[in-house]
Amino acid sequence: MKRTFLKLLVGLCLVPLAALAGDASLNGHWRMDTPRSTALDGWSTADLVISNAGSKVSLQHDMTWRATKVTATNTVDTAAPVEVKNFFRIDQRHMAVYARPTAAAKVTATWIDGGNTLRVEALVPVETSQGNTIMRLYDEYRLLEGGKELVLIELHSSRSRPLVYRFTKVPAESAKQ
Amino acid sequence: MKNFSFILVLILSATTGLRGAGPAPATSAPSPAPIAVTREAFVMHFDGDWLVASGLPEKALLISLQGLANRKAPLLYVIHPKDYQWEITEPLYEFYQRKWHVHFTELSTADAALTQFKSAAKGYVVWDKKVSTSLNVAFTISGLEDAVVVTEDLIPLVQKHGLKQIDDLRGRYTGQTDAQIYADAIKRYWSRTNKDEMMLMGGQRGALMMPGMADWGVREKMFFHDLAANPERPDELALEKRLLSELNPGATVFGWHPYGKDTEEMHTTLISSYGLKMEGLHNLPNLSFNCQFTFTPGFKFTNNSHVALDAKLEAKEKVYISFVQSDSIGIGVWTKPGRGKLPFAWQVTMNWTKFSPAALEYFHESATPNDYFIGGLSGPGYMYPNHIPADKFPLLMKQANDLMAQLDEHVLEIMDNSAADGNVGNADLTKETVDRYYKAFPTVIGFINGYGPARTRDLRGTQPMISYDYYIDPKRPREEVAADLEELIALNSKRPYFLLVHVRESNDVNSLITVVKQLSGPTEVVPLDVFLKLAASNKTYTTRYQDPEEPKHFSGF
Repeated sequence: MKRTFLKLLVGLCLVPLAALAGDASLNGHWRMDTPRSTALDGWSTADLVISNAGSKVSLQHDMTWRATKVTATNTVDTAAPVEVKNFFRIDQRHMAVYARPTAAAKVTATWIDGGNTLRVEALVPVETSQGNTIMRLYDEYRLLEGGKELVLIELHSSRSRPLVYRFTKVPAESAKQ
Repeated sequence: MKNFSFILVLILSATTGLRGAGPAPATSAPSPAPIAVTREAFVMHFDGDWLVASGLPEKALLISLQGLANRKAPLLYVIHPKDYQWEITEPLYEFYQRKWHVHFTELSTADAALTQFKSAAKGYVVWDKKVSTSLNVAFTISGLEDAVVVTEDLIPLVQKHGLKQIDDLRGRYTGQTDAQIYADAIKRYWSRTNKDEMMLMGGQRGALMMPGMADWGVREKMFFHDLAANPERPDELALEKRLLSELNPGATVFGWHPYGKDTEEMHTTLISSYGLKMEGLHNLPNLSFNCQFTFTPGFKFTNNSHVALDAKLEAKEKVYISFVQSDSIGIGVWTKPGRGKLPFAWQVTMNWTKFSPAALEYFHESATPNDYFIGGLSGPGYMYPNHIPADKFPLLMKQANDLMAQLDEHVLEIMDNSAADGNVGNADLTKETVDRYYKAFPTVIGFINGYGPARTRDLRGTQPMISYDYYIDPKRPREEVAADLEELIALNSKRPYFLLVHVRESNDVNSLITVVKQLSGPTEVVPLDVFLKLAASNKTYTTRYQDPEEPKHFSGF
């Protein structure tokens, strides 16, 4: 009986530990499949590079627009809320909604669905023509069956229509292209 | 009978509105005499083949011939296919028939055109298909020496019509860079070319070129080039700076920047920094014909104003949306179905009052009550005002004011993309620039700014300055456009909210009606003059200018 209780206790302790760990298949270089994604606006291509170290997950966005290349990284922490300056989102660049580089976004991140999905929630400071305001973002980075496709679903507190971006895993050697 | 009419045209050209050489004066000067006499002219239909290997050589020949044939009277007009960037060539052709009683005779081949107009040319100049830059040198020679431009395979055709060789560029520039070629051309021809006008014959390069505006440059004896305004091409940049510095004050640079060698932003920045005006595009056709017509007798511009100039309106607790088409009345939108169903403001290239009055009259006479015309772009030509020298600004804007008064326009559209990255990025005006505009335009209803979205905003007295909050990419799915607009409405939560939308060329109006229907809440699409009057009544937008700390895509010269 005592042994069974100990097993149960250990098992219960391991549940939150499992929740802190993402599927290793999420790590790597992902390329947006633009025809199958919500139309980009003011961007031509988008790559996503995911890596994690402990509870910290790095979400690197490599974007292009004509000859312009932009790289931005959000590092989130599944163990605790963080404040991220220059928080990057795949913005609709023909809208007068501007990031506020000096103001930090409040960001929480959680592994859900047994580590197949990284949920990121952020309160992002933005500037509009009427002044400064906050945009609430809800992102899910979902690893799809087979581990070769990733879908990013993004909801905005200000937008009734979800943004759905589909990515395909890119082998390391072709990721440089 | 035809010959008699033709002679009559020439006689009447000096008396009933047709002009001799030189662009129209900046006033419409309506004549009381009705247009009762048929005028004779000729028309050619071009196809869409501008490949150097196939369609371009003959088109270049014909366009140079057009420039020469139209030197003294408007005699040759070109109609382009409907998918040509300037889609008004056919409607304007009909306008000339209807309003000016021009009777056009079709010329279906280059041979027929040469038969009709060979006397306008003294000879021919051969350009080198292997060195495409030589075409621009040939166009310069064409204007100066009254020569048509040909490739070697067209020599027999022009010789058949008795034309003699004036120059041959084959082999002259083999292996040379553009900078070397133009340095040579400057040495040979620059001193004799027009210093009030220059032709930046850029645009497409390589296997496809579209020098649709070359007739104008040939007629006006301009220097043709496609030098790059790019610091990474210092030899070309140095040459262009020299040319710009030697143009007369107030001169106009026609054409467009060379694709792949620099950017629109770089080139317009450079030209503006000399206080010169830009007038595009490189493929704008028929100016050599159009420039010779004034406005028809008795015609007066009357804009479709929706509110008195001194009216005061009060905005309600709602969202006001206004749509603006820039790009020289949209380039490709005016004739598309749906126009008139929504209030639209159309940016008029004011300089067309001088170079293409009939086109402006055509637009005005075919306007619906929902079509409202505004002045642009930034002044009496396409200019980036942050870079216009302070001492040249007042005179340029005086010209703009005069043109706007003539066109009954009361809103000025401003655009400065010198720091932008195409249609995204930093499109803002410095406070100094904003101050200058308020000083120079004390009577306009207001100003609008941007191309892509921008965040320069102000309100002084009753004159607001509002930037675009949204730019509609023609390729963006309409359901996403609706979602974007709804998101802007949600993020700008104070009411009234003034949402200014730039509708990019080739967007069709019908699709925007669909978008508007998808918007929820109390929204109203209003004409731009009403929009600005309302924006003056309740300033829910911030005052803002270009922040020196904000990134600039192009750091300047």
